[in-house]
Amino acid sequence: MRAEVLKGHLDALLLATLAAGPRHGYAVKEALRAGSGGRFDLPTGTVYPALHRLERAGLIRGSWSVVNGRRRRSYRLTPSGRRALDQERSAWQEFSTAVTALLGGAPWPAQA
Amino acid sequence: MAGPGMSGCECDEVGRDAVGAYLAAVAAQLTGPAPARAAITEELRDGLLETLATHRARGCTPQEATEAAIAEFGDPATVAAAFGPELAVVQARRVALGLLASGPLVGLAWLVAAAVNGWPPWRHQLAGLWLVLPLVGLALVVACPALGLTIAVTGRLGRRLGWVGRRASLPATAAVVAGLATVVADLTLLAMMAGQALTASGPDGWAPVAIAAGASLTRATLAGRATRRCLATRATLT
Repeated sequence: MRAEVLKGHLDALLLATLAAGPRHGYAVKEALRAGSGGRFDLPTGTVYPALHRLERAGLIRGSWSVVNGRRRRSYRLTPSGRRALDQERSAWQEFSTAVTALLGGAPWPAQA
Repeated sequence: MAGPGMSGCECDEVGRDAVGAYLAAVAAQLTGPAPARAAITEELRDGLLETLATHRARGCTPQEATEAAIAEFGDPATVAAAFGPELAVVQARRVALGLLASGPLVGLAWLVAAAVNGWPPWRHQLAGLWLVLPLVGLALVVACPALGLTIAVTGRLGRRLGWVGRRASLPATAAVVAGLATVVADLTLLAMMAGQALTASGPDGWAPVAIAAGASLTRATLAGRATRRCLATRATLT
């Protein structure tokens, strides 16, 4: 699935991958891919800028460590990030409930 | 910590060379403060080597794993462009804080020089080169709000408004405006000082004038370079 499809949802999805604990960039990307059953397979290189943006927004915090002799940057949710994730989850639940109610009778995805 | 391929990378020389070439291609297209660019490159290196190790663990040959890892990361130009807004914000904030820190020092140096030499000659009406003095004031009127805006939107206020990384062109533009205004102010002060030095009634106290002129010259040079860098990062924003 192309990155454009996730536009508007990427931040929430990235925050969700960090809900269980800290991850580095590639682990975040893999969590997105695995958690979506392989549907959200973004170019790894574009996940990192999104993480940087979330960090500057104060939603996640990055820290360096040394793993296998390499410096690695891992990210964890901040309290603001956890609140933002909760809000996103509520908003999505509301939205998906409404859409399901409207499209519930029709086969999904819609048939031509 | 969650994540696949955590056992580390035991890639061969071909893999490391390919990773190095990929990172060099990304780095060549990154603009912004050197420490920020270095940190990005280092983070990407770890990610690439981790990706490569994951593909090796899945049974790929070194060549296949290298090609797969690089393909998975995406086009270097796309990756570098995606960092553009973040780097533009970092650059703008760095420039604004530098100007903010240097402003009072340079201003104080000129105030001391003016006090020692009885400048400007208010009592005899401004004439000659002194007529451009209001240009300094005008430059400050432009620079101060631009600085304040840059620092505000790249800090907590920007976070609260959700501007961070999304409207990077705003702080980048504001930092450019502040930088240019600062250069104008410094060059104007230097021109007036040079005009005074060339007149028969040169300054009485040379030391404070030399200090102020040196400070302004240094600041104008650094502000000019920083403004060019801000323009470069701003140009990468799409």
